[in-house]
Amino acid sequence: MVFIFGVNFHEQKLVQKALESFYALGRQSSSRILAKHCIHPRAKVGSLPPKTITALTAELSTMTIENDAKNIVQENIKRLRDMGTYRGRRHAMGLPVRGQRTRNQTETTKKLNMVPRRL
Amino acid sequence: MQPTRALFKRSVWKGPHIVPLPIVRSEPGKRVVPIRTQARSATILPHFVGLKFQVHNGKVYHDVTITEEMVGHKLGEFSTTRKPFIWNKR
Repeated sequence: MVFIFGVNFHEQKLVQKALESFYALGRQSSSRILAKHCIHPRAKVGSLPPKTITALTAELSTMTIENDAKNIVQENIKRLRDMGTYRGRRHAMGLPVRGQRTRNQTETTKKLNMVPRRL
Repeated sequence: MQPTRALFKRSVWKGPHIVPLPIVRSEPGKRVVPIRTQARSATILPHFVGLKFQVHNGKVYHDVTITEEMVGHKLGEFSTTRKPFIWNKR
């Protein structure tokens, strides 16, 4: 088991996949981090030296990821709601925001669209 | 000014959608007369801040007071056109 940014990862896990498991880190930003720290794209977490792991953790702690990134999304939606826009209202009602149909196929919005939004 | 999402939808060379609205600045102390308009697609410009609008929704005019964060949105976003569906209670 290897600790990166306070999360335990199995040694056989790819480093890129481990990075992508953090909210707000996708394929592009994770591969940029790999390139910056000279890590092979298919490298496993277990193969990293401890120095690189601490460097990765330090790098991640400077980025806006996980709860910081989620808060940004929720603040944006809350701003729309407080202004009283149509989009904010649709979020609060749990209905599609961008003009999709509401007769059926709105399970995702029912689950996620609320203030604060589920992420 | 931060370009908002509402502005991203439109080509930059066109600029914001500016509608000639009958904006009259009333003197302080007097009652503010709201500006009655049907131009829902008019972009809210920075000098609208503090004005009162009555925006048409197809049936009635809804009162909208412009605040600073509304700049860049459209007037129609603040005047809902839909009636919430409620089951007939009987």
